[in-house]
Amino acid sequence: MAHATAGHAPAHHRTNTGTDNRKLLMWFFLGSECLFFGSLIATYLIFKGDSVVGPFPHDHAGEKGILDIPVTSTSTFVLLMSSVTMVLAVYGAQHGLQKMMKLSLLATILLGITFLGFQTYEFRTFGHEGLNLGTNIFGATFFVMTGFHGTHVGVGVIYLSSLLLASFRRSGLGPEAGFHVETAGLYWHFVDIVWIVIFTVVYLIPT
Amino acid sequence: MATVAGTLARPANVGVWSWITTVDHKRIGVLYGITAFTFLLWGGIQALLIRTQLAVPNGTVIDAERFNQLFTMHALTMIFLAVMPLGAAFFNFLTPLMIGARDVAFPRLNALSYWVYLGGGLILTSSFFWDAPSAGWFNYVPLSGQTYTSDLGIDFYVVGLLTLGTSSLMAALNFTVTIINMRAPGLTMMRLPVFVWMTLIISFLLVLALPPLTVGLIQLLFDRNFDTHFFVPEAGGDPILWQHLFWVFGHPEVYILILPAMGIVSEVLPVFARKPLFGYPAVVFAGVAIAFLGWAVWSHHMFTTGMGTVPRTVFATNTMIIAVPTGIKIFNWIGTLYGGSIRFTTAMLFSIAFIVTFTIGGISGVMHASPPIDGQHQDSYFVVAHIHYVLFGGAVMGIFSGIYFWFPKMTGRFLSEGLGKLHFWLMFIGMNMTFFPMHFLGLAGMPRRIYTYDQGLDWGFWNMFATIGSYVIGISIIVFVINFFRSMRQPKTAPNNPWDAATLEWATTSPPPEHDFDVVPTVRARDPLWYDRDHGIEAPEPTGEHIHMPPPSYYPILMASGVALLGIGVLSHLALTALGAVVIIYSIWGWALEPTD
Amino acid sequence: MSHAEQASEVSEQHGLTVRQYLMIGAALTVITIIELAVSYSDLGSAMVPILLALSAVKFVVVVAYFMHLRFDSALFTRMFVGSFLLALAILVALVSLFWADSHTLPLK
Ligand SMILES: [Cu+2]
Repeated sequence: MAHATAGHAPAHHRTNTGTDNRKLLMWFFLGSECLFFGSLIATYLIFKGDSVVGPFPHDHAGEKGILDIPVTSTSTFVLLMSSVTMVLAVYGAQHGLQKMMKLSLLATILLGITFLGFQTYEFRTFGHEGLNLGTNIFGATFFVMTGFHGTHVGVGVIYLSSLLLASFRRSGLGPEAGFHVETAGLYWHFVDIVWIVIFTVVYLIPT
Repeated sequence: MATVAGTLARPANVGVWSWITTVDHKRIGVLYGITAFTFLLWGGIQALLIRTQLAVPNGTVIDAERFNQLFTMHALTMIFLAVMPLGAAFFNFLTPLMIGARDVAFPRLNALSYWVYLGGGLILTSSFFWDAPSAGWFNYVPLSGQTYTSDLGIDFYVVGLLTLGTSSLMAALNFTVTIINMRAPGLTMMRLPVFVWMTLIISFLLVLALPPLTVGLIQLLFDRNFDTHFFVPEAGGDPILWQHLFWVFGHPEVYILILPAMGIVSEVLPVFARKPLFGYPAVVFAGVAIAFLGWAVWSHHMFTTGMGTVPRTVFATNTMIIAVPTGIKIFNWIGTLYGGSIRFTTAMLFSIAFIVTFTIGGISGVMHASPPIDGQHQDSYFVVAHIHYVLFGGAVMGIFSGIYFWFPKMTGRFLSEGLGKLHFWLMFIGMNMTFFPMHFLGLAGMPRRIYTYDQGLDWGFWNMFATIGSYVIGISIIVFVINFFRSMRQPKTAPNNPWDAATLEWATTSPPPEHDFDVVPTVRARDPLWYDRDHGIEAPEPTGEHIHMPPPSYYPILMASGVALLGIGVLSHLALTALGAVVIIYSIWGWALEPTD
Repeated sequence: MSHAEQASEVSEQHGLTVRQYLMIGAALTVITIIELAVSYSDLGSAMVPILLALSAVKFVVVVAYFMHLRFDSALFTRMFVGSFLLALAILVALVSLFWADSHTLPLK
């Protein structure tokens, strides 16, 4: 993981570009993730409207669409707010405000878990309404894409929880606390912007 | 929460444990090299079996089923387990030395890349005990779907490539950061050795090209095991999507295979022509241009799928344009030789052979950049000839050049030049005997991947000829192995810079100390050691200060075993996957809390 | 502690105040509400471009301010934006290749 340190003394003191090695790694990793989610979203768009049988995502030939826009708008709002609390955690960590950092981290984690709860609810509801991985091509593209996004949120929750746990040690997060929380924040915000795109492409744009 | 693990006691750097816990880029490079060479031998044996079966019409050495497994696994072994990791062996060993660093940016991540590669390689290879993949290395659906291949082979393919991809991604991120951020004072980007430039370029390609393949593999896994229909047209899917996702990765992949060899050749030629590389900026920018254009050509593998005129024209044109930067490189290498005072060492012979054979492969490549001609070449032995001219005549020749060139630096010993030249000539003749006739066979209509052919088709002569050639290659490899073991029993006599080379790795001892350089070198010109030599600049004296090196760690191999368990679980029981996840999380915690000072 | 002081000095050069972060959060919420309104409205063919533009604004704001890209090294911007544009280009290329088959793009 990115918060693991390199073997050398504080890396940013002697790099050629003045950037920290770990942060550079995280940014380029997120670049790689762009291609990953780009391919998933491309697949979704390629097959958009190609389902042979229902349930369909949006209203289709008199049949009601399966997507529940109000519910997902709420979960979108939850994830958006988690980005705000995340940035406050980074602010707290960088300014030595331990309490602000810990509370904001905790809030971010809880909001992330709430988002996952919404997603579980959505998946289960779809299951009850007869939409599964194998039902039609919408089911396949939708569940795989949003499922992998949800997995990323889950990894982020574990990542932030580890930081929060570690911050209760006697040495806290150490002299580089601001840096560690900021790097974790980069990952978290990225997962949020992926959702910004998915929300628009899947939920808001009709067939 | 994991307890704070103490730093491992620094062992005397001998014994198995010191190799298992090593985070030294040179040792990791050696591990990559030995593992990849073993896989190269294994892939070679598969090739010899294939050639033996095809030597005469109606061959009966192996049956069709086994034959399908062999050509699939031959390609997978050579590409993912041999040639790519041999490139990794070089860039692990050399990059920090060439840029004057003491290690890579993330030493433990580097070890993790190796162990995950080993795990992925073992998973993929162990498939022979159950069902080996048998749908070709690009594994097209619907053949690779549950309907036509219901055995475990394709799942081994998916899990193996996902694991290997994880390893490559981590290595590529690591080397990108290392090259951008860890260069010695004075070593600007336009003074970097070309080999390091090529390493940087393939790192970029890997980081960006692997995700589309990952997505394709996940979709295939879901189609096969979880009831989705991504590639099933009756249910609204499309098998062509797999081809696109595969080749969006697959075309950059061919540059990932060839660019390290191009980097090696660009280092070897100047040394043995005793003059600087001709047109250094042109060689660098040509490499960047190849990588950049390489993103816009993938559908040339799919001209026969009926894409329509406009896409075909675009992809054909882009493909032909790539011949321009490639040609620039070739002319620069020839320009380097021109007027040089050439020493024909074994390394030099391999590099010169690289230029010749790679050019032949490049030319046949431009031929099937044209859609109508490609329609004729598609799935024929002509394509097999092309791919082996660029991958064997190109990548493998370049790698052997690098082995002979850097062997003194890596081991402190020389490989025998006499045996080396025998190796070279046998391999050069053998490879041309094997692969040149495949052009004729392809044009005569022989399809690739058939397990046998009839008497009356008149393909017997050239097939026998090619099979004899493949045995000659086999003998050349035996000569190399003998050469290797003979020289490993010699004393370490290599001086720092036996070839009078110009790059930084030759400024330190052979083999280098654990910390690479007693004093971090300062670079004043593009060919630093030649500049210092010509300007009478002496190497700085060691100051005797304590040099801190990262301590060994067992977390990389622990975490790699977790990654392997994830994959094995998908193939057997999902409980193992869960166990793998637990091992990974535990390792990450231990890793993060492990003191590195 | 000197380390912490150093860290806060650095971040004060490139970062916003808590108030500004909260304002940005509010702005993002407002944009999301506008998006919802647009998706329920009847704007015809203008709808998709508007929705894409709005989500692009959100995307850029999060990357630039929450992820500090505006205040950080230009190297990060190049690495990330370069990768993003490549992903976008491949996405557009793939989608057009397939839509040319089933829709009416003039690629044949
Ligand atoms: Cu290609």
